[in-house]
Amino acid sequence: MTAVREAIVLPLLLLTVVLLGGLEPGAVNPWTAASPFSLLLAMLLLAALVRSGAVAPDRLMRSSRSILANANGCVVLVALFAACAQLLHMLIPRSGLPALLIGIVLFLLLVNTLAADPDRPRMLRSLGVIIGSAFVLKFVILAALADAGGGRTRRVLVALFDVATLGWVTQAPLHPAAGYIAFFAALLFLIAVAALPRRSSDSTAMVSSRSAGL
Amino acid sequence: MRDDIVRGTGLVLAIAYASVIGWTYVRQPQTVAQITGGLAASVGAYQIDSRAFDDGVAFFKRDRFVEARAAWTRADAAEQDARTQFYIAYSYYRQGWGRVYSDDALFTEGLARIDKAIALAPGGRLVVEDAQLQMHSADELRAELQAGLTRDASDFNPLRVFRERK
Repeated sequence: MTAVREAIVLPLLLLTVVLLGGLEPGAVNPWTAASPFSLLLAMLLLAALVRSGAVAPDRLMRSSRSILANANGCVVLVALFAACAQLLHMLIPRSGLPALLIGIVLFLLLVNTLAADPDRPRMLRSLGVIIGSAFVLKFVILAALADAGGGRTRRVLVALFDVATLGWVTQAPLHPAAGYIAFFAALLFLIAVAALPRRSSDSTAMVSSRSAGL
Repeated sequence: MRDDIVRGTGLVLAIAYASVIGWTYVRQPQTVAQITGGLAASVGAYQIDSRAFDDGVAFFKRDRFVEARAAWTRADAAEQDARTQFYIAYSYYRQGWGRVYSDDALFTEGLARIDKAIALAPGGRLVVEDAQLQMHSADELRAELQAGLTRDASDFNPLRVFRERK
């Protein structure tokens, strides 16, 4: 991995995700930090990325590297954790039953990913599906249900749905820019994860032989 | 050598960017003007538009509070100047003041503005020397706004109609 990618590109991408992940345009306090639950999910995601070899911490920080290089590696790891937390926080709905359900589903998906111990390509595909599904649920389906506009028939159907679900599903309307910001942040995150220093084949072979020995 | 320069530059950039993000989450700016103004204020480079400020004061003297606030909002678009925020709060007080009752909505806005002014003032102490004002400190104005929003027995005192607007 080049110094430019490690010292400039990756921190820039990941910190931009941190910045955008907490942005709720139109809210009274538009910048919200990740919740403790999002931090827990971020730990699981980071663990899954490390186990799958999508990121190799030993290529970012080790004793044989210079202090400056280790500092760059440390920035990447910290920014990666913060970006995971903010992105997951952004993808979880803010209230009601969807917040609970999507939170639980994300938790189970990440635990399942950790248990399945996928390799890097499968991990990246799985991550894309998790992020994409959560994005569609919050910013397409739930946003459409919360949209106050539309014709009379649509408003009546939405009102009936709201009554039938006791108001547990409908969310506060999202700002029109929220979906675009979320899509951009998710895209940046996936690009950054794909650009992280992966576990080399030597390390993989070493880990495999250790596992075989066990 | 080149790698070290790149790594050093990257580290400084990342720390600066992370600091900006941290500042953003703490200060909660809502507009681009507030972001740029806030960052300028944090390095002591923020200046209000003094002409717009003077326009606001001129409107204020003629009790044209809405126009005054529009001018002051233009003068301090980033909401980083304690004195301008004090004047905005004062305009809410004067507009909302009534001999029989005060306008709660305007007083609430005024209270929010004076709290912002106090937060922006060094050490939380703000005194504005202006002969046309009867309250010169932010603490006095805050107490007056707070009193206007409080409901108690003194609200039913008929002698209230003789009090004067400050």
